[in-house]
Amino acid sequence: MPEGLTYFLTAVAAFAQPASLFNVAWATLLGITVGMLPGLTATLGVALLTTLTFRMEAGDAILILICMYVGAIFGGSRSAILLNIPGTPANAASALDGFPLARAGRAGQALGLATVGSFCGSIVGMVMLALVAPVLAEFALKFGSPEFFWLALFGIVISGRLTAVEDPLKGWIAGFLGLLVAMVGQEGIHAYQRFAYGNTDLAGGFGLLPALVGAFGFAEILQVMKNRDYQTVRGAGDRVLPRLRELWDNARTILRSGLIGTFMGLLPGVGEDMGAWASYAAARRASKKKAQFGKGSIEGLIASETGNNAAVPGAIIPVLTLAVPGSAPAAVLLAAMFIHGVRPGPLIMIEFPGFVYEVVAMVLAASVGVLVLGLLLTRPLLLVLQVRRERLMPVIFVLCTIGSFAIASRIFDIWVMLGFGVVGFLLREMKYPMAPLVLGIVLGDILDKNFRRAMVLSDGSVEPLFTRPISAVLAAITLSVVALAIPPVRRRILGLLSALPFIKRSEP
Amino acid sequence: MADDGGPGTARGVRADFWFGLGLVVLGLAVAVESWRMPRLTELNVHPMTAPGLVPGLLGVVIFVLGGILFLRAARAGGWRPGGGVGVDAADLATQARRFFVALAMCVGYAAGLVGAVPFWAATAAFVFLFITVFEWRRDRPPAGHLAALATAAVQAAVVSAAVTYVFETIFLVRLP
Repeated sequence: MPEGLTYFLTAVAAFAQPASLFNVAWATLLGITVGMLPGLTATLGVALLTTLTFRMEAGDAILILICMYVGAIFGGSRSAILLNIPGTPANAASALDGFPLARAGRAGQALGLATVGSFCGSIVGMVMLALVAPVLAEFALKFGSPEFFWLALFGIVISGRLTAVEDPLKGWIAGFLGLLVAMVGQEGIHAYQRFAYGNTDLAGGFGLLPALVGAFGFAEILQVMKNRDYQTVRGAGDRVLPRLRELWDNARTILRSGLIGTFMGLLPGVGEDMGAWASYAAARRASKKKAQFGKGSIEGLIASETGNNAAVPGAIIPVLTLAVPGSAPAAVLLAAMFIHGVRPGPLIMIEFPGFVYEVVAMVLAASVGVLVLGLLLTRPLLLVLQVRRERLMPVIFVLCTIGSFAIASRIFDIWVMLGFGVVGFLLREMKYPMAPLVLGIVLGDILDKNFRRAMVLSDGSVEPLFTRPISAVLAAITLSVVALAIPPVRRRILGLLSALPFIKRSEP
Repeated sequence: MADDGGPGTARGVRADFWFGLGLVVLGLAVAVESWRMPRLTELNVHPMTAPGLVPGLLGVVIFVLGGILFLRAARAGGWRPGGGVGVDAADLATQARRFFVALAMCVGYAAGLVGAVPFWAATAAFVFLFITVFEWRRDRPPAGHLAALATAAVQAAVVSAAVTYVFETIFLVRLP
């Protein structure tokens, strides 16, 4: 840990240079702007910036991407509070209490508290990142192919389950479609070109970034242009700077939400949305003023904003240690790290020992950026919400087109963006979550390679998948998540549990 | 409850019915195609590591998940044609028109203009057309039309010039 502290302080000192501070400022501001605008998500922002910064030095590029990520998740709270339209899906819970507060003439207070809540969430998540990532990376050294196979499958199953709470079937369909997309192109063991039919572009597979830019950018443009116009914004009204007393009164909510958000971020493909909702639900359960929730509860607003921003460093933990993303924007961040020559995974503490702490420092820089810019520029930033969608969307689409083309200079990638945009739009219309789809595209290769490697090592036997200790635990969790989502099985299990004597005794 | 196409609504159930059917066909096609992939036995490759194994299994899973979705929707009457509760037909038509206009313009730009004409020209034309079409109001006086066209043209020129300059010069990105 002292070594880690040295790496961290060195990185902080490096980011205190004018050039880095400039990057932090513009990237965070851009992130806040992207997050504020309904229809533009953190995933799109990180994906577009990845394509634009891939010629930069690795440290600068990743710093910029993290600032965009943290800024966008925070920025979504602005439109959630003022327009009742979450700027990003992660801010949906913030609208529940933020908008009633704004309607009651307390918009400034709500914006200020959301800013401080986001900052505190990022800081709690950052501390957890510094503490958990090295330990998890060391533990992950015990992972072999069977464990990675189950981890990939667990990611799809848990992401599908938690991002489509009402209908897990749709979450799983999205996840398995993502895995299927990843099967197109040359596979990594025998170099066979699957589903390519002699087409050289298809043999290269679908690029993650054009697919994401399509599914999150073009699909959103179609969605926004299809719907009726959103109302433009009023002013912030009252004071913005929160009082210390307000923060002190909510310290427990902040800490609880920070920890819950980080944990939800840690789960593969679950991410910021669930970080906010789970924190909000926990705050409601613990609150003495439950009736206030949904009608303008300060606690509710702080919980959701702390939870979603804590999920950002949380989602980076599995990126760094397992090369498995905790959320959709983290999936893009993972791809960006590979592009810049960093190889996240269990060996990260051996191959790049200082990198984890550099990322911790980057999260700190982005969080401070959010706090400073969020509090200072609350009122000027509201002007962004007055930009008309008819004027904004064509510009975004131009960026989507350049972004898709930029990395590989292939016109085919523009077609991929268009195709995934239309498919993403249709899936959203039918209420399919996007996060499992993205996770599927990222994890497809990991699942495929590790399953077949495990088969090579065991001479075709599936036994090690169920008998190796870690593998068996992951298998049991994965299968339990599936079983518990099937209503008759769940009823049966709950019935059996309630028949247990110690459970009976615990009943009132 | 308005029929937004979400779970449980008539439109949602009908969408599930057809999409489930599509997934069944897709899953089956993927499984068959995967089965037809070479097993590479001549290279002493173990059958459990053949290239078609994992895609084949995924095809089966998608077949099963699609089948469940299809049967669930069929049981809820998803095969029946007809409108959903609370659907405003005029509203739906407006939404569909806006969607197809946006789709046509975006595809026309990205798949038609880009690469065929200089990037700056394609971008300026697209931005101008997009703003003009979506901001067009029939009830506006001629002077209003002129002002709208002028501001759209200015924005198109600024966006085209700025994007071309920033990406080529600052980000060193090759434009299509």
